[in-house]
Amino acid sequence: MLKYTLKRLLQSVFTVLLIVTIVFLLLRLMPTDYYFTEDELIKLTDQQKLDRLQAAGLLDHPFTQLGRFYRQLFTKLDLGTSRRVQVNKPVVDLIASKFSISMRLGLTALGISLFIGVALGVSQARFKNGALDHIGTAYTIFVNAVPHLVSYSLVLTFGARMLGLPSLYTMRKPGPSSILPIVCLAMGSIAGYMLWTRRYMVDELNKEYIRLAKLKGLSTGSIMFRHVLKNAFVPLAQYLPYSILLTVGGSLLVERFFSVPGMGPLLTDAISRYDTNLVQAIVMLYASLGIAGVFLGDILMTLIDPRIHLGGKEAAR
Amino acid sequence: MKKILSLALTVCLLLGLGLTAAGADELTEFHTYALISAEVENFNVHYSQGARDSNVMTNLIDPLLTNDPKGALVPCAAKEWYSEDDGQTWTFILNDGMTWVDKDGAYKADVVANDWLTGLEWVLNFAKNDAANTSMPIEMLKGAGEYYEYTKALAESEGVEAAKALGLEKFLETVGISSPDEKTIVFTCVDKLPYFPTVTTYNGFYPVSAGLLEEIGVDGYKAVSWDNLWYSGLYTITSYVHENEKILTANPAYYNAANVKRFDNVVIKMVESPDVAFTLFQTGELDHVSLPQSTLNTIYNSESHEFHDYLTEMRPTKFSYQYHLVYDKKLENGEPDVNWNTAVANEAFRLSWYYGMDNTPVLARNNAINPLSCINYGYTANNVAVTSGGVDYTQLVRDELGLQYTDTYNRYDPEKGAAYKAQAIEELTAKGVTFPVEIDYYILGSNQTAKDTADTLSQVFSDCLGDDYVKLNIKTYVSNMSTEVRNPQLASIYINGWGADFGDPVNFVGQETYGEDNAYYSITYSKINNATDEELIATYKEFTKLVDDARAISDDLDARYAAFAKAEAYMIEHALVIPLYYMVEWQITSVNDYSKVYSAYGIQNYRYMNWETNSDLYTTEDYAGFAAAQ
Repeated sequence: MLKYTLKRLLQSVFTVLLIVTIVFLLLRLMPTDYYFTEDELIKLTDQQKLDRLQAAGLLDHPFTQLGRFYRQLFTKLDLGTSRRVQVNKPVVDLIASKFSISMRLGLTALGISLFIGVALGVSQARFKNGALDHIGTAYTIFVNAVPHLVSYSLVLTFGARMLGLPSLYTMRKPGPSSILPIVCLAMGSIAGYMLWTRRYMVDELNKEYIRLAKLKGLSTGSIMFRHVLKNAFVPLAQYLPYSILLTVGGSLLVERFFSVPGMGPLLTDAISRYDTNLVQAIVMLYASLGIAGVFLGDILMTLIDPRIHLGGKEAAR
Repeated sequence: MKKILSLALTVCLLLGLGLTAAGADELTEFHTYALISAEVENFNVHYSQGARDSNVMTNLIDPLLTNDPKGALVPCAAKEWYSEDDGQTWTFILNDGMTWVDKDGAYKADVVANDWLTGLEWVLNFAKNDAANTSMPIEMLKGAGEYYEYTKALAESEGVEAAKALGLEKFLETVGISSPDEKTIVFTCVDKLPYFPTVTTYNGFYPVSAGLLEEIGVDGYKAVSWDNLWYSGLYTITSYVHENEKILTANPAYYNAANVKRFDNVVIKMVESPDVAFTLFQTGELDHVSLPQSTLNTIYNSESHEFHDYLTEMRPTKFSYQYHLVYDKKLENGEPDVNWNTAVANEAFRLSWYYGMDNTPVLARNNAINPLSCINYGYTANNVAVTSGGVDYTQLVRDELGLQYTDTYNRYDPEKGAAYKAQAIEELTAKGVTFPVEIDYYILGSNQTAKDTADTLSQVFSDCLGDDYVKLNIKTYVSNMSTEVRNPQLASIYINGWGADFGDPVNFVGQETYGEDNAYYSITYSKINNATDEELIATYKEFTKLVDDARAISDDLDARYAAFAKAEAYMIEHALVIPLYYMVEWQITSVNDYSKVYSAYGIQNYRYMNWETNSDLYTTEDYAGFAAAQ
């Protein structure tokens, strides 16, 4: 297990550095005009543009810039400053000021989704083809069929105008103003957990060992929770650490829609404004979290299902 | 008896109106919004260049001068200003009692003349300000370009830190600025520049306290934030959450607090889209909202809608839009587009557009309810310059052109357009031009609004000029107009708006002159300097001469403006560019826009000062009254 962990760790570091290097070089392939706003392109002379690019170090050869980036990273743990999103603010500070908000909303929504989604999924499987099952299926179809922005608008209109909840997130009232964003975040996830819990549980319910358990006279509750759910949850559990870690990344749509000052829209903002240092830092963060999430998911599966082994000659994965 | 009854009813009505007016309170806290895409990037006023920053910064630090609701220059940090040599040297005298404070209003330092010197040194120092906002100081101030080049060379030869360490000594030796005492600043311009005071409303001429630089260092000021900034303006920022909300609170130490009307707080919410803003407005969380076209149509078309009677037309934005013609267009294979270049050089061809196109449908794309309020007959924007008699410069141009804003599209003259079309066909056929002349017009591929507008434009060309004469090809670029279209010279026309940097017509007409490196539109868009048609070049040269003649008048502003108006009218009458529209949007609001600063240049328009507000919404009628009173 230790050997496997070390191997995965080294692979992960290499993968992250490779991703960052590729993104770094791709950004340098973009025309430097993207560094300027349309307004600046209109008003600045060519010499002024060159001066600005020179001051930002963007006229050097891409590999010189890459060397400088890694030198700063490894010697000073410095990822540089933001060039556009919040000018000259260290990107680490910028990310630090945002990720906790995204994570708080995301974890709350994830907890709610897990609880409600799994509970409803179990109920759907238990009462398959009953009214609850049909309602749950209709909800899943609705959530997946209606464009997110439409359903968010409905939530906003209903929540703000009928229930009097704050329309936008505000740090002055983080509790009440978090309700609508969390509802929107949870809506889709509930449908997801419900769908997959029902599906895996129905699969398990048709297996031989369940019939045997029934014949042995075990109670329905015991069969559902101690046997069926435990086995059905294994595939879901694999993605749980990944989902938890990625709450750091926030949700682009929900955070934009409710003006949540989180991580969600940061990457797209940084790319669209050619904020190279910020893009690199966020890519590094997301790549690290993604890889860590998959790794932890694997570990969690081995804990839940002892039949699964990692590494070694008899490894199941 | 009837007369007495009528009189009594009238008195009652007037009293009722009076009571209604008296019942409407002024707002003490103003709730506004901005799109998240327009969030502040930077609290360093010297570095910031976009409206996203300036709209906030203008409230936090006082410049030397500001503008009033008619666009005229008025005192701000400087109580008086004058030139004794027709505009080469300008002296500004500061008010007494101005102070720098922190975000909580605690005293940090006095505002002194040296702060403007420190600010300008920052701007012109390559290592400190990364070449941002240097163009106007370099263009106008003696020695400014020299100092900039000095700092750049120093940064390259001895390292950035050496240039960052520069104080004021070398700067004062080189640049035309001085402070004889703590309250006086003297600028020496490169030439007689009668409009120089208008430039002081712009970022590059804002002050910064030497004390702040000492406190947070050069790198600290480059990254200065709302919580360590020093404030000298109307408000301080007391709360700021990036892409969420900022609260501006009336600066308790503001030197002129007794004489200006301010809000206690201005709460600026950042929203994702105009639709979300409208939802906030409906729930009472905002005091005004600009209306997207679809929402506007819904409200306008439903008389029973709760906001139907509160639709109000905003004042035109500061940009003046025109059809810009390209005189050296190329094909996609890089060869010159001879057919287009020959056609556009022909004056009759251009004038057939000028007179023959009814652009009302294009105007309606910006203002579906009242398209004619968007009409623009001139090139220079409103409120750029005002004569000593209070007449806006654009009126002088309209007088020269013989066009006035009425309830019809006066310029449109189909008969004249048809006559010029016939003349152009005859002349151009003789030169080998084939018809229809193809017009390549580029829009952003992902922009549906631009596509809809382009379709409308295409229909206008077809309806007014005929498919046998011209054909509009709507083409797309992926993401960057400059790289994909402008640099390879692929477009035949552009529709562009120009916003003034300072208060003089040269800022507009000077962009279109022939053979001048600073003429932005000539160099970047029209490429007139590459044209070969002698008649066209002669027309441009005559226009350029008229501009130069006007530019030379520095001792009599009225004469200067009159001369510029002649030049501009000449340019328009020869259709070197074709004026098109102003942007005029609609809103629902508790603010009287006509009480706000309204200037075509500088960064003063968003100063939350002396605004007339109404806790009830203003009605359409109220606004019609405000507009009529102008």
